Amino acid sequence: MGAMPSAGNAASPAHSASVEPYAFVARVFAAQQALPKAIQAEQRLIEAIAAQEGGLSRRHKDRLFRTVASAWGHDCRRVTEPDTSCDESRNDSALLAFAQKLARYALLVSKHEVEALQRAGFDDREILEAVQTIALGQMLCTLANALCPDDERQPGSEIASAPSSFAANVEYTETPGPYLQTRAFTGSPTYPLFRQQFGFVPNVFADQILRPDVVEAEAEVLQQVLIGEDVLTRIQKENILLAISAANASTYFVAVHGQILTVLGVSTEDSDQVVQGEYPPTMPAADVALLKEIRKLALPAAVSPGKFDPGALQAHGFTEVQIVEAVTMAALTNFLNTLQFGLGATPDFPPRRIFHPKDLHRSAAPSRLTFDETQPEDADVPVVERVQNGDRDAFEDLVRRHSRRVFSTLAGILGSTDDARDATQEVFLKAFENISKFEGRSKFSTWLISVAINTGTDLLRQRRPSESLDEVADDEGFRPRQIQSWAENPEQLLAASERTDLVREAVLRLPPKYRTAVLLRDINQLSTDEAAAALGLSIPALKARLLRGRLMLRESLAPHFIRSGNRSFNAQLR
Amino acid sequence: MLSCAEFLAEFGDYLDGAAGPELRAKLEAHLHECKACQVIVDSTRKTIRIVTDSDSFTLPADKVEPIVTDVMARIRQKKL
Repeated sequence: MGAMPSAGNAASPAHSASVEPYAFVARVFAAQQALPKAIQAEQRLIEAIAAQEGGLSRRHKDRLFRTVASAWGHDCRRVTEPDTSCDESRNDSALLAFAQKLARYALLVSKHEVEALQRAGFDDREILEAVQTIALGQMLCTLANALCPDDERQPGSEIASAPSSFAANVEYTETPGPYLQTRAFTGSPTYPLFRQQFGFVPNVFADQILRPDVVEAEAEVLQQVLIGEDVLTRIQKENILLAISAANASTYFVAVHGQILTVLGVSTEDSDQVVQGEYPPTMPAADVALLKEIRKLALPAAVSPGKFDPGALQAHGFTEVQIVEAVTMAALTNFLNTLQFGLGATPDFPPRRIFHPKDLHRSAAPSRLTFDETQPEDADVPVVERVQNGDRDAFEDLVRRHSRRVFSTLAGILGSTDDARDATQEVFLKAFENISKFEGRSKFSTWLISVAINTGTDLLRQRRPSESLDEVADDEGFRPRQIQSWAENPEQLLAASERTDLVREAVLRLPPKYRTAVLLRDINQLSTDEAAAALGLSIPALKARLLRGRLMLRESLAPHFIRSGNRSFNAQLR
Repeated sequence: MLSCAEFLAEFGDYLDGAAGPELRAKLEAHLHECKACQVIVDSTRKTIRIVTDSDSFTLPADKVEPIVTDVMARIRQKKL
């Protein structure tokens, strides 16, 4: 990487020794001198994962590192211990087979591989350490690939990207996670960073309960390199995490970072475009260049669109420290994605998109959106079961996860934010009191929203006895009146706060039965199936109400967004 | 060929990308010929985008924790 500082040894001997097969680590740290917090974060992970003596032996870890390096095309230097690559021991061959699959084809790892390790005599703690070691290897190899591209690469070798037919040649069976024993322990650490940042402990961290010290290190790393906006903005960093997770076909992390970007105010349409490898027209050209370049640093299984070129980013005005931070984020993404693939952590949020092995190939058709076709596993069920078994504190996770959706449903029904806040509390209290009745026939979130709809409707009836969800307006006779073409980018015609007020007023003017359909589908982003279930409607009935609601909203908004001047077109229905 | 009324009764799945190939072909044949329905499809898509992206009913981030605290305090007070 031409513009980066010349090599020098910024790694302590202890760190280098812990990852002895990776002689490039010292040069990676030297190349990151502009961003000391990144070096500190990486050293912290090396200490926790590689330096600590745990269940897995040093020899095992070294071999895992070499297996990962081989997937990236690095020729690792020999360690002092003789390389026993022809070791015939049963344990080693099972472990190396697992490492090869996780390093090269992470998405294809399933519970079967983990069970094979268990049969070979590895316990859950050792398997967790193997996953963590392989994930650390992926992170360090990503950094070496970007920051020291010519180091120790085998002559003529490129990153071992998967051949186009690889999915047909590698065994893959979709199995539900998590793969290891998890969360069956009392007195587990509280991980304050996760609670503060996310409101709960994401499954990919909760599933590492057998090595809480490593989770603490991971939390510190997130705190150091992800939180804070002193170099790149949080949105830029989250977009990197999203783009690489999408290139790696990580259903779990696309859901996580899509959700975080939504909270940060990025539209779902924009983040969906990043997932697709396309870029929103409103995104600055420099940010588009950043994501295009950084996507080249995805895991080996992803089909890379080319070699990472920091010069292309410098040409867009990115500074050295910004490029180092972007590369560090890419490496962190590969670390986290590998952990999740190896542990089978189940999504914390309803997945926006479910990836399959074919998604590792750009030429393949886009994977299906989850809208109406699938019923993803319900990530709330384990928590609900804990509450049902008497752990009332576990209910806190459910309140945090769902308070926004419950609130927005109630605010849309009641109109007043104060009333909606009070009603949100009532909904959660009712849900807690009745949680024994939840039998898992629908997703918990759907059940909770139906409680919110019923609570909101009852309050509305008390306030306005004449109004109910089923009254009003037959479904016949509605005919669009505004048939003038809209501006190309109507959002640009009004300030964000004006649009917020306009939409609120227009939604609240809708008759309740149409309003709830729009609230659940377009504002709360429930699937058609979920919205129909929450409202107790058939799917055709829900669709009819939704379409009517959308057309009525269009009618209300049209005067504000019609194209101005001669370019307006006024047509007639036939 | 569909009339506009028939088109408007059927195009919900089309907006969500969920129309089957046969329905989609019928709707697109109508759209090809009908500027008014083109305008309605385009403006309805923009309506959905504007509504979906708006924060009109969003709970501000700093209001989440007070709700969690209040709910959990009331739950912990409950007798088992």
